[in-house]
Amino acid sequence: MELIYMIEQNLDELEEKSIYIMREAKERFGNMAALWSMGKDSTVMLALARKAFMGKVPFPVIHIDNGIDFPETYEFREKLAKKWKLDLIVQNSDIKPEISGYACCGANKTVALKKIMRERGFDALIVSIRRDEHGIRGKERYISPRTKDFKWKYKNQPAELWNDYSSKQGNGGHIRVHPLLDWNEIDIWNYIKREKIPINSLYFARDGTRYRSLGCTHCTVPIKSNADSIDKIISELRSTKVEERSGRQQDKETAYIMEKLRALGYM
Amino acid sequence: MHIQQITMLGHKDHGKSTLIGSLLMSTGSATDERIADAKSTSKKLGRQFEPAFILDAFSEEREGGLTIDTARAQIKYRGKAFELIDVPGHDELIKNMLSGASYATTAVLVVSAAKDEGIKPQTKRHLFLAKMLGIRHFVVAVNKMDTVGYSQNDYEMIKNDIAAYLDGIGVHSQSVNFVPISAYKSENIISKSGNMHWYRGKPLMELLLTCHTKNFTGKMPLRAIIQGTLETESGMAYTAKVLSGTIEAGSSIRILPLNKKATVKRLYVKGREARSAKAEENIAINVSQDMGNMRGAVISSTNMTKSANAISTMLFFVKPVGGSAELRFNGNSTKAKISLDKVIDTVTGKPKNTQKPKALDAAECIIRLEKKVAVEEFSSFRDLGRFVVYSSGKFAGIGVVEKVLG
Repeated sequence: MELIYMIEQNLDELEEKSIYIMREAKERFGNMAALWSMGKDSTVMLALARKAFMGKVPFPVIHIDNGIDFPETYEFREKLAKKWKLDLIVQNSDIKPEISGYACCGANKTVALKKIMRERGFDALIVSIRRDEHGIRGKERYISPRTKDFKWKYKNQPAELWNDYSSKQGNGGHIRVHPLLDWNEIDIWNYIKREKIPINSLYFARDGTRYRSLGCTHCTVPIKSNADSIDKIISELRSTKVEERSGRQQDKETAYIMEKLRALGYM
Repeated sequence: MHIQQITMLGHKDHGKSTLIGSLLMSTGSATDERIADAKSTSKKLGRQFEPAFILDAFSEEREGGLTIDTARAQIKYRGKAFELIDVPGHDELIKNMLSGASYATTAVLVVSAAKDEGIKPQTKRHLFLAKMLGIRHFVVAVNKMDTVGYSQNDYEMIKNDIAAYLDGIGVHSQSVNFVPISAYKSENIISKSGNMHWYRGKPLMELLLTCHTKNFTGKMPLRAIIQGTLETESGMAYTAKVLSGTIEAGSSIRILPLNKKATVKRLYVKGREARSAKAEENIAINVSQDMGNMRGAVISSTNMTKSANAISTMLFFVKPVGGSAELRFNGNSTKAKISLDKVIDTVTGKPKNTQKPKALDAAECIIRLEKKVAVEEFSSFRDLGRFVVYSSGKFAGIGVVEKVLG
C-alpha cells in the first residue's frame, strides 16, 4: 500500500484562514507580538502578515536567542529583518552548559520569553505551530489563553466555533495566536515556492544532510538528504515516512515531553 | 486539493478515536513513529494496542482512556482527501465536541453494539447537535460487531432506533447510510467483512466518498462580514471577509444593520489593490464615508439579509441561561432577552413539560436583542443565521435563527 501521510492542501484556502486569524487577533489585542525563530514556519507567518496588513508586519517580532543558534540563522535574521523592515526584538536567554533538551527548552527559552513579555506588556503572542507537527500541538485552539505563569490549561480549553474566538486572557495572562494551525509541512514548502519567500539556507542539503526542523545547535540533528532545492524538498516530503521533528532531541526524552513543555509555556 | 471535513459523533467508549486510528492505519496515513508511539504507550499501560492513542495525545487521555479535547487527522483515499475530527463523547465535555464538530460538513455517528453499550444519551444528543450545526451528510457506523458475534439482529435493532430518532428531528433517515463495522478489527472499513455477509451495502470509506462535495458560494449574492479596520496608503480601510458572491471596486454596497449605502473606492486583496474579490477572500476596502466602528456589520446585496432585533431561534444550553444573555454574531456582541417557548430534551428529541431548561437541553425561544444585528435564517445562509451564547462572560451555548421576526 502506498503511504501518503502528508496531504497537499489548497494554498489559497490556507492563506485566507491564516489572514483571517491574524486580522482577528490584531483587532482584539492591543499589544501583540510574534515569535520568530527564523525557521520556515514563522517566516511564512511573517509573509502572511505582510499580505494581511498591506505589505508590512504591524507587530514586533521576538527572537529568543540562546546564543547557540547556527551562524546561518543569525545571518538570515539580519538580512530579512532589514529587507522586510521588521521591528525585531532579540531577547537573550542564559544558556547553562550543564543542562540540555527538556530542561534547556523548558527553563532557558521559556524564562527569557516570560521576561520580554512582562517587560513589554504584550497581551498576545503569535506562535507558528502546526497541528501536524505533534499530537499535542494537534489539540490546540487558534486563539488560546495562557495563565500569568504561562500555563496552558489544556484540560479545560475554551469553546471555539462559528468565528467566535473570544477567549480572554485576564489576570495577567496572555493569548497565544496560532494562525498556521491548519497547515501541513508540505504546504509550507509549496507556499514558499509559490510566493518566493526567502528561507534559511540550513534547510537545503549540503554534503548529504539537511535540517528538516530547526532548533539550536545543541539539540537539532540533520537528516540524510540530497534535497538542495525547494523542488527537491517537496518531492522528498511527498515520499517520506518519517516525522518532521525526528531530529529534535527535546521531543523525545521522556513520555509526554511536549505536553509538559507546552503546559509550561514552551512554543 | 479540497478536503472534506468529517466529524465523529457518539457516546464515550463507543470507539470514535479507535475508528479514526483504524482509518489512519488502513489508509496508510499514520507515520510509523506515531503508530510505534501508540503501541509502546499501550504496552506501558498494560493494554492491548489502542489505535485511539494516535490521536489521544494527552497523558490524561491515554491513562484515563478517554478523549478530552478535539483533534484532527487527514487521510487520502482514492484520490480524495478527508480531515477526520475526533470529539469527546462525555456530556461534560460537550463544549469541546462543539468546537470540533462545528467545522464538519459530514458526520459519522459511532454507536457500539456491544453488550451494555448500545444507544446512550450522547448517541442521540450528538445527532441533535450535528443537525443544529448544519451538518449535511450522516453515516451511522454500528461498531464492535465482533463482540456480538456479528449479529444482524443486534444491528437492525440499533439501526431502527436511530432511524426513528433521525426522522423525529427532521433528518430524513432514508438518505442516511448505516454500516456495521469493527473499528478495532478493521471490518467493513475499507473492504467488506467476510463475517457480515448479510450486509449488502458498501464499506465505510466507500460511503464517505459519496459525501465528498463542495459548496457553491460563488454564484450567490454578495455577503461579507466586516472584521475591523486597518491603515492603507489611502487612509483607513475596513477589513472584511467575503462569504458569498463577489465585490467590485467602484461598486455601491449596502451595509447592515445600519442600512447605509456606500461606494467601494478602493479594494485590496492580500495587501494588493484589486478590481474584485470572491467568496472566502479577506479584503480591505476604502469606502466613500467613514461610518465608525463597524465590526460585525454585514455587506449584503440580497434582501434575505435583514436588520433585526427580534428573532425566533433554537438554542442549545451548555449551561442553562436565565432570561438574559449575551449573543455573539461573527464578532458582534449584543445583550439579549430570551423568552422560552418550548424546552426540548435533546436525548429524546421531544418537548419537555417544563419552562426551565437544564444543561444540555435545547429550547425554542423568541429573542429580543438590545441592538439590531444583520441576520438571515440559518436555513437560507448559515454563517449569518447562527450565534454563540455567553452568560456572565462564560460560554453557555449556541443558537440558530429559525425565523427573522423584525
